[in-house]
Order: sequence, then structure tokens, then C-alpha cells
Amino acid sequence: MKNFKKYLLVSVASLALVSCSSDDSSPAANNVILEFNNTFKDKTIVLGDATSASASVNTSAEGQVHQFSELKYVISNIRLIKNDGREIPYNVNDLDHGATVIDQAKESTLSYVLNNIPAGEYKQIKFGLGVRSDLNTLNQVKFPVFYANAGANDTEMMWEWGTGYRFTKIEGFYEADKKQMSIHSGSTVENGEDGKETQGVDAYRDITLDLPNNAVVGSSSPRIVIKADFDQLLSGKSNTIKLSTGTGMNDNATPNIHTALQMVKFVDNLGGNGTSDVSGMFSILSVK
Amino acid sequence: MIKIKKLSILVLVLFLAACSEDENVYMDLDNPEIELPIPSGFLAWNSAALKNRPTKYGAELGEKLFTDKRLSKDNSISCASCHIQASAFADHNPKAVGIEGRIGLRNTPPIQNLLFMKSYNWDGSKLQLENQPIVPIITHEEMNSSILEVIEKISSDIGYKVLFKKVFGDETITPERIYKSIAQYEYTLISADSKYDRVKQDKEKFTILESYGYEVFTQKCISCHSGALFTDQSFRNIGFPVNIDTNEAGRARVTGNLADYMSFRVPSLRNIEYTAPYGSFGQFASLKELLDYMNNGVLEAENLDSFFKDNGNRIPLSEAEKEALVAFMLTLSDKNFISR
Repeated sequence: MKNFKKYLLVSVASLALVSCSSDDSSPAANNVILEFNNTFKDKTIVLGDATSASASVNTSAEGQVHQFSELKYVISNIRLIKNDGREIPYNVNDLDHGATVIDQAKESTLSYVLNNIPAGEYKQIKFGLGVRSDLNTLNQVKFPVFYANAGANDTEMMWEWGTGYRFTKIEGFYEADKKQMSIHSGSTVENGEDGKETQGVDAYRDITLDLPNNAVVGSSSPRIVIKADFDQLLSGKSNTIKLSTGTGMNDNATPNIHTALQMVKFVDNLGGNGTSDVSGMFSILSVK
Repeated sequence: MIKIKKLSILVLVLFLAACSEDENVYMDLDNPEIELPIPSGFLAWNSAALKNRPTKYGAELGEKLFTDKRLSKDNSISCASCHIQASAFADHNPKAVGIEGRIGLRNTPPIQNLLFMKSYNWDGSKLQLENQPIVPIITHEEMNSSILEVIEKISSDIGYKVLFKKVFGDETITPERIYKSIAQYEYTLISADSKYDRVKQDKEKFTILESYGYEVFTQKCISCHSGALFTDQSFRNIGFPVNIDTNEAGRARVTGNLADYMSFRVPSLRNIEYTAPYGSFGQFASLKELLDYMNNGVLEAENLDSFFKDNGNRIPLSEAEKEALVAFMLTLSDKNFISR
């Protein structure tokens, strides 16, 4: 009996091995590299403080010049869609291994490597700008890595009062007198006990982008270059926004845009409105 | 036979504990629920509390956590540093002060009668008390720590080990257990023993001035400060001086609704004697100052509460009425609550 079990084990194991290897030399899986190019229209953004001579200056549809000193956003819930339509999720329920903070000030964050993507041809990519509501709880026990990264002093991607993450954090200046602009987004969704009495605004946006040519994973690990055009922050498909400074209910240049109605206008511009616009400011520059 | 009975209870308890994900099912027969009868005129318990009923040791554990300075990054402040019992679990700073003297956004709210509240914080951002304790722990202007940092600091404390075991059945310290225990303690902070309450029970009588104040109150204040809690728990913009902190938008920052811009929850008037200064960021040093402001006229706003809008943006009050109103409000002080 013991022997039989042993044989069975060995044969099952060898079967498993056989089924995992293929005849040709190309591996069963490989990396896919996502590269984020943050731009004003076609030019990569250069950050700078109010007196910087090198900072990129952009002009909005409303004629307001503006520049950024800080630019960060969260990407999560990444899915690659195969030619046959099959969706390959990438650690979509694990912020430690499936989410990242893109920080224009840190070169290393602008590329995000997806490991162990099954070989095949991919025609489309989906990802989230921000964090899905069900994961947006600042759960330090479950996701210590992402929590630490988002909470770091030089990142500040936490929204403590809302017990969630900041999805975008943009600091900068506008108009000739360099007034402060400070645009943060995040969800304020709060469920009551039993999920009743839901309140708040969901600032998570799901992005879908068709690839201009298939990304072929196998012996090669493709690089998908994604453009995030922050010109659309103020001059987007959803809204044309004019910044104004003050504490009135329609002022929007500083974080009282957390009056989420103001915030949602920026969110829709950056991440689409979820219905007619599922790309927002994002597009694919190239697949190599 | 008695032994067998005990064994079967133990088995039953084990069975229940093993089969349920809800930690609350664990019941130590030596850790009874605290009797918290609903005071006359008060609302029913909120539904979250029904699932996190305060127990003897749960509340004791919560109080230990509430007063533990290790919840803050530099071990300098506890919850009780701002929520001071003598001030009805509020304090006297205009805006809350956290570690290293950091100034927060708003006035520390008193902690009282939370068992009967539907939402928490001036903007109602939290709908369950159990979801609140994490906020001050991680907020930069408050305790600036993290829950794992807290757990690491307190995990070797024998007192905690004993209490966690008594409350939850084992010594494991988890974030959820910490939040539940603090909430349990806070649920037990019930204030319903003021002169006003005793007058309602025919045990005492108002003075003439207090009586006049109550009359003015029922004419000009009670539509918002209604019921035994002295708040209808609604959110209103009543044109108080605006907090220019760019993070402030009142309830609108939660709901995204412009109609909620600079709206705050109607505060309870219970123990108001002990919670000066007043307003969402301590705009008014005294009750007299606040009533003067309402009489002189509040700030115009698109979403100004209709009670003010319909009355020329003010609540007209004579000096005599103000004096009487203050006298009445002082009958809402619960001396046993602040010194129990």
C-alpha cells in the first residue's frame, strides 16, 4: 500500500512536470514592463518649484498657465487581455504585489514590472487609477508594503480622515503670480454596519486601453509605454476647469476640492467618467 | 453530573468560537455584558453597538487603550489627552493639539452618548464608531503612529495579555480587537443625569431664569437641538466664521454634495458648560459670545440653513433672553458624568 502511494506520487509529479514544460525553448511566462510617461500634451513633465526656470509650463483651455512641483498617482487592479479575450489579472486583490505609486520625482517608480505573465499575445490592458473601494481601507496588516510606501513622508499618499489612500496628489502653481494649486483625489465611501447607509464619493476609475499592436509575451518581455497627459487635468474630455483660489464652495485650486463635487471633475478628467470615457488622460504610446 | 454540564458548555463555546468568524461570539461567562439601560427619552442603541455590546472587560480594555500614550508615535499623548473627562471628554483648545504641538483641523468633540449616535465627527465621516479609532492613531496632526506600531509597543504588556484573553478568548492583539474595545468603552460614556433630566423626572425644579431660558429654547433652538440628545443629528451650514484651512469643507468633503458645503453636525448641548470654546474650530470663547453672534447675524451662504435664511440670517435674541438661555444650558451639565 505504501509503495503504491509512492508510485502514484511519483507518477503524478512527473505528469505535472511534463505538462508544465513545452517543447520549444520559449518560457511559459515572462515579464511585462509598464512604463509611464507623464506629459503636458506631448512633452514629458519637468517638475519644479515656483521659481524654477526648468519646470514645464502648460496652458489650459481657459488660458491659465500652470506648472507642477509634485505629481503622484496610484495604479492598481492591472489586467492584461489576451487576443482571445481572456483576462489575466495581475495580483488584483493584493496591493503589496499588484499596486504601485507612480511618482514623477522618482525615476524608478515610472516603470512597473509585472512578473510571470503567461506567454501569449495580448491586445488590451486594463488598470485602475486609484484603489478599488473594497481594498481602500488602509489595512496595514494585510498590505504592509503598500501601506508603508503610501504612508512614507516623501509620498504622503494616505487620506487619514477618510481611512483610505490618496489616488492622485498634484502640487503646483498657476497664473503669473504663482498661486498655489493642490489637487488631491481619493474615495470617501463609508459603509454603515451591514453595508447600509453608504455615503461618500468613489474616486476610483477603471481604465481600458487597446494596444496598437499585440504585446507578445514569451521569449521576449514586452514594454508597454503608457502616456498620462496631465494637460487633461484642466482641459479634459469630461470637464473644462478654471482654477480659482478661495474658500468658497466653487473654489477648487486647493484641497477644499474635497468637496468632492469639485474633486470629481478632476477625477473624471484624469480617469474618465467610467461610461463614455474609459481612458481619461491615458493612452498607449508604444508596445515594444 | 455538574462536571459534565460544565464540559458541555465548554465544548459548546469552543464549537461556537470555531464556527464563527465574528469574534463577538466568544463569550466568557465571567465577562458579563454591561447593563446600559436606555435613559428616558433617548433613542435606541445604534446597530453597530448591538454587534459590539460593551462587556465588563471589553470596556476595561478599551479604557486602558484610551488612556495609553503608547498609541502615539512619541508616547506623548493618549486619546484621553484631548478627550478629558472633566471637559465631558473634550478639551479647551480651539483646535485639537497632537504630538509635538501639531494643530489639527477642528475642535475636539466631546465623547458622550455615542451609543445613540448615527454618525461620528463634525462632518459625520464615520458611520460606525469601530471605524473611528484608527483615524487619530494615523493622522499626522494627532498621534502620527500606525496600528502595527501600537501593537508592537503594547504586545509585551502583561495587563493587556490578561485583558485580551478575558475579552476575546486568547491573547492575540489585532487591530479589530483594539478598535472594538475602544468603542465598547466609549459606548459606556452615557450622560443623562443633569438637572434638566431630574426636572423632567419631577425630582427638581428649574429656577425662574432657567424656566424662562427653557421657554426661549423651545421657541428658537429646539428645531435643531431636539430630543433628549439635544441634537437632531443633521448637518447644517449656519453661517459661522469659516475655517480657512484648505482641508475644510464641512460635510461636503465627505459627501461631495455642494449643499453640504461647510455644514457640520448640530452639536449636542449636553455638558456644553464644560466644552468651551465652541464651533467647529473653536470660533467662540463663550456661550454668550456665540449667542451674540447669532443675534447680530451670521455669514450669508448659498446653502445657509433655512432657519436662518427665513429670519434675515439671524436668531434675534434680547439680552434677557441670552442670559436665560445660558442659564438653561447650564442645567444640561452632568456633574457625575465628568467626575465619575
